[in-house]
Amino acid sequence: MKIDAKNPVVEFHDLTVSYHKKPVLWNIDMTLPQGALIGIIGPNGAGKSTLIKAAMGLLPLASGYVRMFNESLDEVRHKVSYVPQRETVDWDFPTSVIDVVMMGRYSKLGLLTRPRKADKEMAMNCLRKVGMEAYTDRQISQLSGGQQQRVFLARALAQEADLYFMDEPFAGVDAATEAAILAIMQEMTASGKTVIVVHHDLQSAAEFFDWIVLLNMRLVASGPIEKVFTNKMLQETYGGKLTVLAEVGELVRKRQMPSREKY
Amino acid sequence: METFKEFFSFSDPSIVSVVVGAILLTASSAVVGTFTFLKKKALVGDAVAHSVLPGICLAFILSGTKNPIWMILGAFLTGWISLVIIDHITTKSKIKEDTAIALILSVFFGIGILMLTNIQHSGNPAQTGLDSFLFGKAAALVGQDLIVFGIVAVILIITVALFFKELKLIAFDSNYAKALGLPVKALDLLLTSLTVLAVVTGIQAVGVVLMAAMLITPAAAARIWTNDVFKMTLIAAILGGISGLSGAYVSYVAPAMPTGPWIVIIISVIAIVSFFIAPKRGIFARSIQQRKLQRLIMDENLLKELYHLGEKDEDPYKGRTVDEIIEERFFPKKKLKIALMRLKRQGFLEKKQGYWSYTEAGKIKGQRVVKLHRLWELYLSKYMKIAPDHVHEDAETVEHIITPELEARLEKMLEYPEFDPHEEKIPY
Repeated sequence: MKIDAKNPVVEFHDLTVSYHKKPVLWNIDMTLPQGALIGIIGPNGAGKSTLIKAAMGLLPLASGYVRMFNESLDEVRHKVSYVPQRETVDWDFPTSVIDVVMMGRYSKLGLLTRPRKADKEMAMNCLRKVGMEAYTDRQISQLSGGQQQRVFLARALAQEADLYFMDEPFAGVDAATEAAILAIMQEMTASGKTVIVVHHDLQSAAEFFDWIVLLNMRLVASGPIEKVFTNKMLQETYGGKLTVLAEVGELVRKRQMPSREKY
Repeated sequence: METFKEFFSFSDPSIVSVVVGAILLTASSAVVGTFTFLKKKALVGDAVAHSVLPGICLAFILSGTKNPIWMILGAFLTGWISLVIIDHITTKSKIKEDTAIALILSVFFGIGILMLTNIQHSGNPAQTGLDSFLFGKAAALVGQDLIVFGIVAVILIITVALFFKELKLIAFDSNYAKALGLPVKALDLLLTSLTVLAVVTGIQAVGVVLMAAMLITPAAAARIWTNDVFKMTLIAAILGGISGLSGAYVSYVAPAMPTGPWIVIIISVIAIVSFFIAPKRGIFARSIQQRKLQRLIMDENLLKELYHLGEKDEDPYKGRTVDEIIEERFFPKKKLKIALMRLKRQGFLEKKQGYWSYTEAGKIKGQRVVKLHRLWELYLSKYMKIAPDHVHEDAETVEHIITPELEARLEKMLEYPEFDPHEEKIPY
C-alpha cells in the first residue's frame, strides 16, 4: 500500500541498493510529506539504515534516484542533515562535547576557515536545546548512551537544516532522553521541518510518528499512520520471511550479476 | 661530557643545521602521524615507509645522483603505488586489509633491497651513503638535503594546520563529513599524500625500516597525556622533536652509528614512560585510584561493623578491641590495624587503652553506610523482586558508591522505610 504525499519533500524513485552486488533494497518508490515526523519501521536486516544512507549519498545506488526539495541532494545539501547510528563512531576519540556539536557548523564554514564566535554560540544553543549545556567541555568518552545521542542530535540541529535523516536516535537511550528527543522532534516538525527516523520499536512507533514507512527489503507500505499502521500491514512486513526475495538476492551476489543490465 | 657540552652549545653552525633539520623532520612526521593514528591506519604508515625504498633506488638509477628532489619524487611514486594497490586488493578481492598490507610491504621492500644491493655492486662512486636511507643518518642532513627536506617538513605542518578541522572530522566520523558535503575523498587523498611525504622526509634522519615508528609512536604517547586533538598534535610534535634532537646528538657523537634506531628507542622510551606516569590515563594514576578506592571500601566496612556491634548492645560509642571487631567480621589483622590508625588520624575513631570507639563524625559515617546497605537491599527486593536472601552481596558493593542525590531519591521512593527485608532497622 503506497499513499503519495501531498507536498512531497523527499522522493525515492525506483531505488535499488546493493551490498557487494547483493541487492538489499528493491525498487523503493515513494514520496514523503513535508513537516511530518516519519518513522521507517521494519525487522532486522530490512534495510532501514541502508535506505537513509542511500538517500544521503553514503552508498552507491544500483538504480533509481532520490530527490529532495525537487532537486538532487548536492543542490540542497545545506538544507539536509544526517544523524548516524551512535555506534558508528569511536567515542574514545580525543575531543569534547562542544567540539562535536561544532562539527555541525563545518558545512557553513567551508574549508580552511576557523569556527567563528557565532558558530560557538549556535553550538551552545543547540546543546541547551537537548539539555546538555552542563556537559559542554566534557570528554565524549565520559558520556552515557543517552547523552551521546543527545550530542549527535545537537550536532544535527547546529546545521539549521529543514530535513533530517536520523538513524536509530532512540536506540539504547533512557526514558528521559527518549522523551526529550521526541519533544525536540515534535517542535521541529511543528515549525515545518521534516524528520525521518529509523526506528525498531513497534510499540512506541505507534505513539511517535505521523507517517509510517514499512520496509522489509522492499517497500511494504508508506502513508499516514492511521491508514498504514494496521495489523495486516505489519504482518506483511514482519510475518513470513521474504524467502524468495532473499534467495534471489543471494543468487545475484554469487553470480556477480549487475543488478541492472547495462548496454 | 665534553662532546655533550660542545654539541649543546651549538657553537658549530653545522650542528645547528643538523639539529634544526632533525627536529623539523621528526616533528612534522609526528604531526601527520597523529591523524594516521586517529584514523587507525598505523599499519598503512608502515607499508608506505617500506615501499618508498624501491622508489629511492629507482631515482638514483635514473638520475645517477643523490639529489634529494629526485629521491623525494621516486619515494613518493612507489609509496603511492603501494597504497593504491593495497586499497585495490582490499576493495576488489576477499583479502582483508591487514593481509594486503603485509603482502605489499614485503614485496616492495624486497624489491627495494634487491635494487639497493645491485646499486652497491655497480661500482658507481656516487652511491656511497645510499644505504643510510635504510636506518637513517641525521648527520648527513646538510646543504641541499637539509633545505629540501626542511621545506617539505614545513609544508606538511602548514597543510595540517590549514585543514585541521576537516582532518579531525574525517578521523572521527567520515560518514557525517560526507553527509555534510565535505570532499571526503579528496581529504582522504590529502591525508594519504601527507603520510607518504612525511615518510619521505623522515627517511634521511630515521630510515625506511623504522619510519613507521616516527609516525605512530609520538601520537600514541601524546594520546595518553590529553583528551584533545589539538593538544595531542602539539604534544606529539614536541615528543617527536625531542627524539629527533637526541638522534642528531647520537649522530654527532658516533658518526658510524645509524641514527634511526636511536631515535626510535628514545621515542619508545618516552612513550613507555608516558604510559606509566601520565595523569588520569597512566598506569600509575590508575593504580593509585584503585588503591584509594580499596582504602575507602575498607574504611567504610570497618565503620559499618562498628555500627553493627553498637546495635547489638545498644551503645554505639562503646570501645571495642581489635579481636572483637574481627569476631564480628573477618578482616586481615594487619590491614585492620592500619585502617583503624588511618580513621583515627582522620578523626572518625578514638583509641583509649586498646579500645577503639566512634567519634561523633565516625558514628554518622558508619550509620550512613549501614543505612545505604539496607536501603539498597529493600530496593532490590521490593522493586527488582529479588529474593531477600540474594540481596546482601549486591548491597555490599553498592553501599560504597551511592551518591547523596541517589540516597535522597531512594529514601523518597521507598518512603523512608523502617525495616530492611531482613527485619533490621534502617537508621536515619
